[in-house]
Amino acid sequence: MSARYGIVIDLDRCTGCGACMIACAAENNVPPAREQATSRTGLTPMLVHKISNGLKGAAEREAFIPVTCMQCGKETPCVSVCPQQAVEVDETTGIVMQMPQRCLGCRYCMAACPYHARYFNWWDPSWPAGMEKSLNPGVSVRMRGVVEKCNLCHARLHSAKEKAAAAGKKEINSADCIPACAEACPTGAILFGNLADENDPVSRAAQSPDAFRLLARLGTEPKVYYKSGQAWVRAMGERNSSPAPEVAHV
Amino acid sequence: MKVSRRDLLIGTSGAAAGLLLTPVPWKLLGDVSIWTQNWPWIPEPVHGPAESKHSFCTLCSSGCGIRVRLAANCPVGIAGVSTNPVTRGALCPLGFAAHQMNWHPQRIREVLHHGRASSWTEAQAAFEKACSEGPLAILDGRPGRAASSLLKTFAGKRSGSYRVVFDKESQTLEPYATWSGVSMTELGYDFENARTILSFGAPLLDGWGPPGRFTRLWSERSAGQEEPQLRLIQVEASLSRTARAAWRRVAIHGGSEAALAAGVARVLLEEHLVAMQRPMPQMSLAEAASQTCLTPDAIRVLARTVVENLPVVAIAQDGNPAVAALNILLGTVAASGGIVRKAVHGAPHAAAEPKIDSVRAVLLDSSVPWEFVPQTDAEVFRFSAWDGGGNRADWLLPAPGFLEELTDLPAAPTSPVEMYAIAQNLAVPPANVKSASQFLLQIDSTLPVIEKLILTRCEEILRTRQGSVYGEKQLAVTNFGSAQKLEEELRRGAVWVGEPPRLGSFRCELKEWPTEIPVSRAADWTTAWVPPVLPPLATKLYQESNLREKPARRNA
Repeated sequence: MSARYGIVIDLDRCTGCGACMIACAAENNVPPAREQATSRTGLTPMLVHKISNGLKGAAEREAFIPVTCMQCGKETPCVSVCPQQAVEVDETTGIVMQMPQRCLGCRYCMAACPYHARYFNWWDPSWPAGMEKSLNPGVSVRMRGVVEKCNLCHARLHSAKEKAAAAGKKEINSADCIPACAEACPTGAILFGNLADENDPVSRAAQSPDAFRLLARLGTEPKVYYKSGQAWVRAMGERNSSPAPEVAHV
Repeated sequence: MKVSRRDLLIGTSGAAAGLLLTPVPWKLLGDVSIWTQNWPWIPEPVHGPAESKHSFCTLCSSGCGIRVRLAANCPVGIAGVSTNPVTRGALCPLGFAAHQMNWHPQRIREVLHHGRASSWTEAQAAFEKACSEGPLAILDGRPGRAASSLLKTFAGKRSGSYRVVFDKESQTLEPYATWSGVSMTELGYDFENARTILSFGAPLLDGWGPPGRFTRLWSERSAGQEEPQLRLIQVEASLSRTARAAWRRVAIHGGSEAALAAGVARVLLEEHLVAMQRPMPQMSLAEAASQTCLTPDAIRVLARTVVENLPVVAIAQDGNPAVAALNILLGTVAASGGIVRKAVHGAPHAAAEPKIDSVRAVLLDSSVPWEFVPQTDAEVFRFSAWDGGGNRADWLLPAPGFLEELTDLPAAPTSPVEMYAIAQNLAVPPANVKSASQFLLQIDSTLPVIEKLILTRCEEILRTRQGSVYGEKQLAVTNFGSAQKLEEELRRGAVWVGEPPRLGSFRCELKEWPTEIPVSRAADWTTAWVPPVLPPLATKLYQESNLREKPARRNA
């Protein structure tokens, strides 16, 4: 049976600590920022945005929204525009896979992605001398000139598949392939699991009345859900993913 | 058959067109694409036998349980350990990149004397000369370790003094220590049993204490709930991470925390909301309101809300005595859900002051925060793995970095229970680094070695027959037949947790409301980070996102 892996992020639990960003970068061999890098030119497969309700004084409210590849399940924009077939939806997991080896660096996918969740490798990856010894051997380092995004830690998925195969099982246990961000979250705000499994906590969380998806009106069926008890935060989900003036980064 | 030029052209064109129908050009294109991503200057991860070991993060005194992934005996990944009873799998953001710190560009790799390269021999000669000329002061940032015991023994042998530089969290307990005579290291906050926490600017959700302790508690008992089991009331001028997530936020004028504490105390006493009847603060409610920019009614409402859901504990961001006095009024000192004393009592430690007079040499262990700069005429010997810049030590001595030395870890600051863990040395240190204890052992070979001190501590724990060891499974201490067995288990990443605190085991006497109160200052987000430099991946937080302010003090 095919799985449909996804994430539910409880925004009321997110403190904006950034542990998910660091854990993601360490797991996926993402280099530290170059001197010239900014939030647009840097590499942040997981990026936490700070948003505000735009009011001042006692009515002022803030929240943090971790934004990653939404793993669109229907008419995936990046898949349809890629001239190289460097992006594919894995039918067995539902994960939108990016293959940097095939990528030409044309950046059509970046233009097509409504969530700005794709990043171009503007510089050769480099670490301070000797630090390459601390890189994760399960993930290859990507060259400059290719587009990167969140693959839901596909190296962990491969390990889980190997583990399942070694045990003679066909299905993998989603607990064996939890992405680094979900594993790192100190408040347990990020839940990972199989949305196709009704008994999975993630599936139940996605059905919560407080759950929503970013730009759901586009009909791309993202597999990343958000949850918040605050109406203004839920309302943000239907806005453009790039910060509007009243919700600009604080 | 004669081949004409025309035949040759037709043949060549046909072959070229035919080739396109074969997989060859597409395979070549794919291969070229892959080759162009494998230039020699692109770093390649080191491959080798992979394994996973449990240990503890040693970058700050929280001592979070970590699972270290190793490839070819080199740490390549860090994750939390869910079985750790305190941190419960959580780590701070910087902890996830801690394994990269050993290659930080600001790693100190040689002995530096006034910024110039020197040697261990010269440093040792200078230290011995200074010690022979006058008294010595040794400063430690994490008391209670085996290394601390060694430093203290050396200071005692040389008629020197051993002082502790307490972290920010411990400093919040200073007034209680002063009023009760109990050492700060024996006191802690019993958040687990509190139902209301009144925080006066303490960054409880932003690097305060072990990240897994309060954040997990808040996440489970408070986050997003209208009527939470645990009420967090944050008194703060700005909309900090903690204020944003609090159940209620009280915005006051910066630096007026003591005035608000006095105002709340006055309401509690006047309206008989607490059992105690004194001491009454001298400050009137109107004056407190004026200083805090709140209305008197807002202070009244706050005071009533505070006692709605007991037990309540107030916590300051520093050693604010007015906040401590408020806790005494609220009856939360030596009570469940308040300020408690650990069941096992150790020796008290004298706190270090920046001004150090009448000594000839000052030795700073690598656990002393970089921003602590002794004001002294003595010769300063500072151990550190990283150079945070602007150092005023005479000698900068390269110390082991992350997981490069065997060390033990006592309970985290402000923990209500005694704990003990051992962090193994999982990384190979570069040549030419020494810890302060190794340095002193070379000078005085009669000092006890770290391994022996750790075993002695295990014997002590075994003798108490109290508490449990949390490893792969939870085991009572009595299950261990010998100290060696207990040490083995702790070296595998288990942690010993002692008995719960004994309530009512100390008293704080307060005759008058404190008047001389220093103004509280908000701390930089990197304050909780003890090493002088941030891991390079921290740039994700402040350069490639707008999540954090760029650190002004430290250079990543």
